[in-house]
Order: sequence, then C-alpha cells, then structure tokens
Amino acid sequence: MPPFKLHTPSSLDEAFEIVNILREQNLDYDWVAGGTDLIPNYKWHINTKSNVISLSKIEELHKISKNHIGAMARLYDISQSSEIHPLIAKSASLVASVMIRRSATLGGNICLDTRCFWFNQSEEWRESIDYCHKCDCGTGADCRVIPNQNTLCVATYQADMAPVLMCLGTTIHMSSPEGNRSVPMKDFFKLDGITKNILLEDELVTHITLPDDVFEWEGDYQKLTQRDSWDFPEAGVAVLWKKGIKGPSELRVATTGIESIPRFHSEESQKIIETWSGSDSIEELAESIRKSVKPVLNTWFQPSYRRKMVKVLSRRASKGLLEI
Amino acid sequence: MSNDDEMVGYRQQPGKLPFSRPGSGGKNQFSQLRDIQLIPESQGGKKLQPRGSHRHDELISGTSIGRPTALVDSKWKVTGKANYGDDIRLNNELIGKIVRSPHHYARVLSIDISKAVELEGVIAIATGADAQNSFGVLPVTKDEHAMAIEKVRHKGDLVACVAAIDESTALEAVRLIEVEYEVLDSIHDMRKGLDDSKYPIHDRGQYHIGESNVQKRVFQEFGNISEMVPNSIANHKSNWLFAGVNHGFTEPHAVVANWDPSGRLTLYTPQQVPHYVHRALADVLEIPMHQINVYRTFVGGGFGGKSDPFPHEMCAAILARKSGRPVRITFDREEVFWVNRGRHPSRIEMDIHADSHGRLCGVQTDALIDGGAFASFGHVTTYYNGVLHTAPYELGSFHYTGARVWTNKPASGAMRGHGAVNSRCAVEVGLDDIAEQLSVDPITFRLANLLPPYSATITGFRITSIGMRECLERVKIASDWDNKFRQLPLGHGIGIGCGFFISGSGLPIHWDPNKFPHATVHLKIDMDGGVTIHTGAADIGQGSDTVVAQSVAEVLGLPLDMIRVRSRETDTSPVDLGSYSSRVTFMNANAAISAAMEIRKDLLKAASKITDTEMNKLVIGDRRIFDKKDPAVGVSYLEALHKAQEDRGALTSSGSYRTPPMGRAHKGAAAGLAPAYSFSAYVAEVKVDMETGQTKVLEVWAAHDCGKALNPLSVKGQIIGSCHMGLGQVLSEEMKYGRGGELLNPDLLDYKIPSIHEMPKVNPIIVESNDLEGPFGAKEAGEGPLLPILPAVCNAVYDASGIRVNELPITGDRLYKEIEKKCKKLKINTPLNLPNPSLEHSDLQSILEIRASKHSERDMQRIMAEEKTPYHNGALFGMDPEIPGDEQDSKWEIRVVPDEEYLSNPRLAGSAWRHIERRKREG
Ligand SMILES: Cc1cc2nc3c(=O)[nH]c(=O)nc-3n(C[C@H](O)[C@H](O)[C@H](O)COP(=O)(O)OP(=O)(O)OC[C@H]3O[C@@H](n4cnc5c(N)ncnc54)[C@H](O)[C@@H]3O)c2cc1C
Ligand code: SF4
Repeated sequence: MPPFKLHTPSSLDEAFEIVNILREQNLDYDWVAGGTDLIPNYKWHINTKSNVISLSKIEELHKISKNHIGAMARLYDISQSSEIHPLIAKSASLVASVMIRRSATLGGNICLDTRCFWFNQSEEWRESIDYCHKCDCGTGADCRVIPNQNTLCVATYQADMAPVLMCLGTTIHMSSPEGNRSVPMKDFFKLDGITKNILLEDELVTHITLPDDVFEWEGDYQKLTQRDSWDFPEAGVAVLWKKGIKGPSELRVATTGIESIPRFHSEESQKIIETWSGSDSIEELAESIRKSVKPVLNTWFQPSYRRKMVKVLSRRASKGLLEI
Repeated sequence: MSNDDEMVGYRQQPGKLPFSRPGSGGKNQFSQLRDIQLIPESQGGKKLQPRGSHRHDELISGTSIGRPTALVDSKWKVTGKANYGDDIRLNNELIGKIVRSPHHYARVLSIDISKAVELEGVIAIATGADAQNSFGVLPVTKDEHAMAIEKVRHKGDLVACVAAIDESTALEAVRLIEVEYEVLDSIHDMRKGLDDSKYPIHDRGQYHIGESNVQKRVFQEFGNISEMVPNSIANHKSNWLFAGVNHGFTEPHAVVANWDPSGRLTLYTPQQVPHYVHRALADVLEIPMHQINVYRTFVGGGFGGKSDPFPHEMCAAILARKSGRPVRITFDREEVFWVNRGRHPSRIEMDIHADSHGRLCGVQTDALIDGGAFASFGHVTTYYNGVLHTAPYELGSFHYTGARVWTNKPASGAMRGHGAVNSRCAVEVGLDDIAEQLSVDPITFRLANLLPPYSATITGFRITSIGMRECLERVKIASDWDNKFRQLPLGHGIGIGCGFFISGSGLPIHWDPNKFPHATVHLKIDMDGGVTIHTGAADIGQGSDTVVAQSVAEVLGLPLDMIRVRSRETDTSPVDLGSYSSRVTFMNANAAISAAMEIRKDLLKAASKITDTEMNKLVIGDRRIFDKKDPAVGVSYLEALHKAQEDRGALTSSGSYRTPPMGRAHKGAAAGLAPAYSFSAYVAEVKVDMETGQTKVLEVWAAHDCGKALNPLSVKGQIIGSCHMGLGQVLSEEMKYGRGGELLNPDLLDYKIPSIHEMPKVNPIIVESNDLEGPFGAKEAGEGPLLPILPAVCNAVYDASGIRVNELPITGDRLYKEIEKKCKKLKINTPLNLPNPSLEHSDLQSILEIRASKHSERDMQRIMAEEKTPYHNGALFGMDPEIPGDEQDSKWEIRVVPDEEYLSNPRLAGSAWRHIERRKREG
C-alpha cells in the first residue's frame, strides 16, 4: 500500500485545523471513515493522497437517534437499532458482510466512490489497459466503457443506503472550514462518476436528519446481487409510501446501483399516485422505472438484465401497496 | 487416589512417565482403542461385510481405520501454529517481486534494468537470460520458462524479477525496470486457436500441428459406431459453453529459496507435487537433483492449483543464488489468477443416443478446451474430457474428438475433478433429457444401464469395485425422490447427477516406465516405541498425513499419537509422485501398509519367541500382542519391540506401491487408466426465481463410493467441500474476460465463490464398495465427489423451470435470458405461467425397472464370486461378455485417427485434425 500519514482529530475544529495546515503546505488528503472503501482503493493505488484524516475519534459524528444519524454511525449499529426507521436498518443490513458492516459507516456509504470493472483494479492492471479517464495518471486516457468522449465517467454508484434515505425525505448536513450547510439528500448527488456529489473541497458530511413524519412511511428496499453476502448492489430499488384511504396518499421511488448516482424518481411516482388503480399501477410504475434507467456494462451482471430486474425489484418493493 | 488406573494414557506429560514401564505389559489387557465394531466379521469382529472380505482384513486391529478422526495436523492449524509458505522467515531474507507483462502477447525487445540496479536496497535482478532451460509438469510439453525468453504470452506473464531489502523497495525497482515490447496479435477466443496463425503462441518444432495453436488433439472411436444413430429412438444434442474457473484456495502462492553454505538449495513451497518441482529446479538451475531439498510447507489449499512447477519458484531460487541471501516471494490474489491453472474454459458438443430398449447406443462428444498460454497438464486434460465419461454406463459406442488450444490467457491446468467435470456435466444433463424423451425416470434409466463390478469399459479401462448402484438407490430414498421428481411446483425442482473418477493415475507422469514404484513409505521405530513415517506424499489439507498415520497405526495396533509423520522434505522422504489424480490414499496407504506389515512380522516373531506361541496364532491388539484364543497369553508391544531390536537397534522397513498392468494398447489407452475408480450420485433440490432467473440450492443428498471410509470424518468433509466448490462453478464462479481479452475479476470480490449463505444443507452418504486392491478397501474421495453436483443442479433447474441450460455458471442473467426466450417462443407473457415439466411413465419404465433389478442381482453375484469372470462393455448389446467387442465383431471398432470422410465434415474440436503435423509435411 502506498504510504500516507494518518491524522486522528478528536473534534471537527481540530480536523479543520489539520486541513488548513495541509492546505498551507500544499498537501492533498482524503477523509476516511470506516475505510472499507477507501483503503482497498489505496491498496490499488487509485487516486491516493499523501494524507488521510480519520473521522473515527470525533464523538459528535457517531450519534444515532430516530431523527438523527451521525456520519460515523456504523452500519452494523444502524442495522441493529430499534430506534430508527426499519427500512434504514434493512438497507444497512444488506450492505457487504457482517464483518464489513462493523467498520463501515453511513457517511462512507453515502459518499462511496463509484465503481467500474476498468477502474477497481490494481495499478499494474490499469496500466495494462493504459488507464482510463477516471484515474488516468496523467495519460489523458479515455473512458473504457463509453469510449471516444473523454469527458464523462459512467462508473456505477453501488451504495445501498441512499435510496431509502432519499425516499424518507432525509436532509444531509455538511461542514467545512467555511461553515455548515444542509441540502435534501435527493439533491446531494451530482453527475458524473468522478464528481459523484456536491461536496466541495475540504467539506465533509456530519450527519443526516429525518423529518418528523418519517415513521408514517412504509415500503421496501430490494437489492439485486449474485450472492447474499459481500456483493455490491447490481440494482437497488426503494419504494416508499404513506397510506391513503384507497391506495397510497404519497409515493416515492429511488434507485441505486444502476447509474453513476442514485436516482430519485419523482415524476414516475407522481404519475402513479394521480392515476392509482392497484396492481396495474404497480406494473405501470415498475415499467416506467425500468424505462428511465440506463445501466452500462461495467459491473457483474449484463446491463440489459439489470435494467429488466429494476422492473422486477420495483414490483416486489411495491408489493405492500396492494395490502392498503 | 492413585493415578494408576488412568495411566493407560500415552501422552507424555512434563516430569511424569505415564507410560507403563517398558516391557511391563501395562495394566489393562485390552485397551479401549480396540473397537470390536471396527473389526471385520471375517476376523471375528462385528463389522458387517456385505460385500465379502478383504485382503487387509487380518491387519485390522480395531484401533483407527473407520473411526472419525481429527486430522493429525489439525491442532497446528486451529492454533495458528501451522507455517504456510509465507510464514517461513529466514535470517537476512530479501523480498522478491516480479515484473509482469502488461500485454497479452508480445515480443520482448529489450529489458533495461539500469535504473533499478541503482536503487538503494536492490540486491539482485534476474531476467529470462538467467535461466534458459524450459520446464513443465509433463515431460512431453515443457513449454515454460522462469521468465520470458523471447515472448510474453499473456497479461501477467513473467518478464523479470527483483530481490530487495523490503517490499516497497522491490516494488519500486519493478517500476523502474523498462521493458520494450513489440505487441503481437493476440488470441482470446478458443475457436480461433484452431486456425493457422502467423505467430503461433508456441513452436513445437517438427511436432507442431499445422501452423495453428492446437497443443493437443485426440480422436477416438469405440464400439458400434456405424449403427449408433440408425438404432436410436431418442437423441440428445447440446452445445455447451463452460467458463474457466480458478481453484480459489485460501493461501496465495508463496515461496522461500535459500542456498546454504555448502551450495545446496532448499526451496520452501506450498506444493502439491514437490517431486516435479525438484526435477524442474534441477533442469532450470542446471544442478543435480541431490543438491536440492524441496521443503513442503503447510499448504493452504491446492485443488490442483499448486501442482505444476512454477516460474516464481524458479525466480526465487535464481534470485537467492544471485544475492546469496534467502528470497521470499508471496503472491497477491491477482497474481494467483495470473498463474491460474484452473479449469479450462470449454466448448463441449454432446450428443447422446438411446435405443428402443432404453440402452445408450452412442455417446458422441466433441470438446474444445482453452489451455491459455501454457501446456501445463493439458495433454492429459484433453484425453480426460473424453475418456472419463465412458463409465459407469454400458455404451453401444463412443466417439470422442478433443482439442486443446493455446490462447493468450493465464494457463489452464488441473483442477479438482481434472478434465472430467465439464464433460460429465454435459453427459449427465444429456441423460436427463434422454430419460425425458423416453418418458422414464432418470434414476431408473441409469440403474438399468450400469456396468457391473469387475468389468471393462468401452475404452478398456479395468473397473474393479462399483458402488454406483447403491449410491443411486440411497440418494433416491434419502431425497424422497419419488414424491418430488416432476411433481414440485414451477420454480421448485429436483435433479440427479452421477460421477466417476480415477483413484490414482495408472501411468506415472515422470517415470522410467513401469519399474519404479508410484509411492514408497519408510518406517522407523526406535526403543521409545513411537513410529516415524517417512513419506513424500504431500498433505495439502486433504489429510494424507492422517491417512498414512492411521494405516500404520492400524496394522501395528497403536494409538495415533505414537505415530509421527515426516513428509515435508525431499531430503528425508522417499519419492512420492504428489497429490494429484486422487492417488495418495490408494497408493501411499498401500505402500504404508506394506511397510507396516514388515514391522508387524518382526513384532509377531519376537512375541512368538517370548510367549512360545506360533506366530499365526498371535494377534495385535492395542499395544499388546496376544494369543487369539487365549488373550491372557501375550506381551506388551514394547516388550516385543525390544526383543525384536536385539542386536539390531531401531526397526526400519520400506513399502511401496505400483499399479498392476492394465488397459489396452491403442494410442492414448493409458490416459484415464487407474487401479480403481470412485462413483457417486447426488440429488440436488433447488428453487429458481422465475422472474429473476436466480437459482438457490436448498439441499443436496450426496452419495459417494469411496471404497472404504478410512476416516469417515474427512470423507464427509471432502463431500461437503466438493459440493461447495462445484456449486461455485455451476452457479457463480467464472473468470470473466473483457472485450479486449482482459481478465476483469482477478480478485475475490468479483470472482464469486459462494458464501455461507449460498451453501445448502449437504447430506453426505458414504458408500463402501470394498475395493479389493485398495488399502483396507479404500479408493478416493477428494475429486470424484465434485463431479455430480454440477449436473444435479442443472437437472434440478430444468425440473424447476423447464429450461435446459447449456452454459455455466447459471447466473441470474444467463438463466433469465433463456426464460425470456422460452416465454417468447410459447407466447407467454410472464415466466410465472410457463409450463412445469411433468412425467408420465411410458411402457419402457417397467422394462427398465425389471432390467435394473436383474442387474442388481447380477452385480451382487459378481461381487461375491471367488473367481471374477471377465465382463466387457457390450454384453448389454448382445455381445459375449468374456471377449472384448472388437475381437468378436467387426462392427466394433477401435480407431484413434480420423479418416478422410470424417475430415470432410469434422466437428469443432475435431477440425484440429485437418492440420498436418510439420514432420509429416516435410519430405
Ligand atoms: C467486499 C466489500 C463489499 C461491499 N459491499 C457493499 C454493499 O453491498 N453495499 C454497499 O453499499 N457498499 C458495499 N461496500 C462498500 C463499503 O464497505 C460501504 O459502502 C461502507 O458503508 C463505506 O463506508 P466506510 O465508512 O468504510 O467508508 P470509507 O472507506 O471510510 O470512505 C468511503 C469514501 O467516502 C468518503 N467519506 C467517508 N466519510 C465521509 C464523510 N463523513 N464526509 C465526506 N466524505 C466521507 C471517503 O473519503 C471515501 O472516499 C463493500 C465493500 C467491500 C470491501
Ligand atoms: S466509466 Fe469509464 S472513466 Fe469511469 S471508471 Fe469506468 S472506464 Fe473509467
């Protein structure tokens, strides 16, 4: 593994002091939370930096309550918590494996790097294909998935937590030496596979908050994988609703594992709510979600299959709607 | 309370002498170790012998054989004390790293090491120029070098290596070595390997086949070829595509090389086959074999993937010689995939024909296998893809064409079930289809077509014991087959698959023909009474140390902790050919028994002198030798031992094993010959999610005929482990290549080995056919148990979904594609409405049932008969069983070269025969 200097501040202020010092020295760094994504990437010499600032000693980032989850909350603890919304716990319980969930954090999951067969490889491997646009090592290399464009990375966002959180109306809170800010989770992500999200330089996620009506939402999160353990989502669909008198009064759908950012499908769900008619509507919803996603060939399953499965997952996640 | 009563233990505690005084005979006449349930009926014990007695019966002392036994090295492993390859630490060691090719295929124009040499901490650098001699596991195909001589042949091929004071310096030096290449057109599709090429990947000189990349080709025809199709009423045809798979063992390759001050090399390596490394090192380093000691460390899994001599082993030795310091090279997982030697990606065309009597009148197989960049075991693999599916069934004819081609991929090689797995899967799925076409139960169909015990297969393999029938019958009952097959709802299914595998390759790879034994075991017992076993058999986790210890313990009537196995170093152990082809238990335990019998004779002689009793009246119990009829008359083991040692000192003995002469004479007749064969039948129950195509295996009933379970615990472990490994290949494991031929998943996240969640409940069923030549009746349990799980799952998937798969692994996307196709074809809008396969028996069913039960009687008679009359494949088709088919009927052919007619319209792999070997073209 390439050598780096590890910093372990015990407060946000201290963290930003370290940031300032590093910046003054013109040194680059990464935040590390549980390290289950960052460290493998470092091992593969992917976008390595000379300094790493760990957030693990910062107490305030660890909190879990029904409306507040700190960025450093461990996915294992989230999956076991009885205080938080059960679908958040379910999403967390589906991530990776039990061992990884003990280290993995919510913040790291939300900020997870995008993934691609041509990128998540060792340095020698990437060198053998002359690298690619996302980590080109100064070669100006093209994207290997959609070549001849050289501007866009279509690596896939394969984290599990985002869809349910988006549907629950989560707000994400960020902090930087410049101050704090908050945005709705659904506006947090930003294309392309390199940009990933709106975080600015030196900014980090501190926590998320959930609205007061969170427990009025029910639904399901469905994940497509080869194996029941370890595997990143090849597609993930969350469908959540509030019960109305006949059918849902509100409906939200979000997907992950298919494109470079998770997607909140407000248009498609809005249409269904307006014309709700039971199982036909579910079919229609599932079909419209399928149509709206465009996976590419850079993960385990074929993109055409992943797309078709989005429909099946949407249908299955909507099953509870028929019981209203 | 006095401890005396408990002093029957054998464990030495510090400061105590729990042993009874030498020669005292001990307190208890009989030890608890002598278990009457383990002693055969024929010796007056209670162990039932439904298949008669065995030549080793009188050696059974009831101490160890047949007892579930923890492996003798398990304590090292569970306490973390076992030293694997990378655990070897020698003073002053250097770390070696390898410069690998970034190109699939290229000429190496120049290697500039000048910058790397300058780097502080770099001690030695080596390139192909340092080791010109080639090597390879098979003497006929030595096509590997320590590092590239002229060309690199796949991404990851070795170009140079570096030894430095630490890993980061070595890695930095690797980066500083500049290699100039001329990139050549690479081949990735195995079908392209059949064509002539401008730069064939290897040059075989006068033996080169055309100008192609065909490394080996096989043509075989046996039996009544001309009538197989005319006589058939049911025909199966399927063109299979099998992805390449890797062994996925836990421990990556690692090696340490050290030259001692006397100029001798010791190579520490987790090897399955130390002897072949020993030979290859001598060739490559150009020193005599006696100057080399190969030290086998603990092996963290092999499965065939650690049985070639490897270039990195040569590199370590070369770097250590250059630097004068020990050099350690440890692979990361990606490098494990570069060196590979996993199961060949294969295209198999399988045609099966059955006649109106429900007999298999023909099997025609064409197997094109993708060898990757080197030959490895491929010569043998090419044969095995054919010959290893000529049993357990009686066939009317067998046609096989096989070809192995070089491509610019990491080399394929031997992997658990070597060469037999893919074609077995294709045959067993074909049989399921044939049974369906005939409207009969597939288990009945198999039961009515089995070869009897003590018979010869269509290619002339000598079969001895067969437990196939019992395997089928037992899984049928255990799985509740009759109430499930074709009766479960759509998406839920059950399937059967069988297997047949060699128990030791009859012809040794590297041998002066015939005279040298395959396995040799030395024993030494000094006055302490403990037995030291010297054997070269490589324990790779399969438990060969335990088997050899158990065998000796049994014959000498000793507890296991009085036995110590020294199997690590070629300096001290007699040559053993290694842990491959499921040969170790059969051959090495037989050798150990012979050695132990000598010692036993010495002990009995001594006891006879002391007690004045005739030798043949004495038996060995637990550490005591006594009169069979009057157990009170006897001496302790130590007393007898010390008597035997008079004027002689330590007792030593040597035993060896060599296969009997067998097989026929046609070219290639030796491939697949074995002194015994194992048989197995599995039933798998699966659920297929019809909407996603994802398959989950719920339960497996796995019956395996291992001859005799010397250690039932490890036999069960092998069965369960085989299921896990086979499930990986059938459901999720594949080496995935990108469009440019890049290996996309050289890591354990995307190379998808099943996790505990995918592992179904496996019910191992041990069948003991009591092989007359096997040690105490044993055959093998290491590889054969893998074969049936693949077809059992495929057939269960059919029962569940109505889809006959012909591509592995059956990932969700592959199966879903087929489901979609079928929906489209049948104009059905959702997979949930697809028709569920059903079965209504035809008249043939009862005919087959009657035949099966007659055959069952026939088999039992043959087992119990003192004199085994010959039975050649063909009797089921009305031939005289006592004479080989070709000697009694001109229609029964044996042909190993295609004729013009075949060449005018060859099958895929068969088209390799269109090329003419160079030597046959010239002049
Ligand atoms: C074998 C394996 C299987 C996996 N399977 C899954 C899976 O099924 N589903 C899934 O979702 N993930 C999976 N992962 C990925 C990963 O383990 C999880 O997403 C995990 O939640 C990441 O959290 P972490 O704390 O370990 O992140 P880290 O590795 O510490 O960080 C990940 C990224 O986020 C950044 N980051 C971390 N915290 C913050 C913060 N507070 N503010 C700003 N940036 C931050 C880091 O700089 C880094 O770029 C898998 C990983 C492995 C190794
Ligand atoms: S999508 Fe293209 S640019 Fe992005 S990681 Fe993959 S190959 Fe590289």
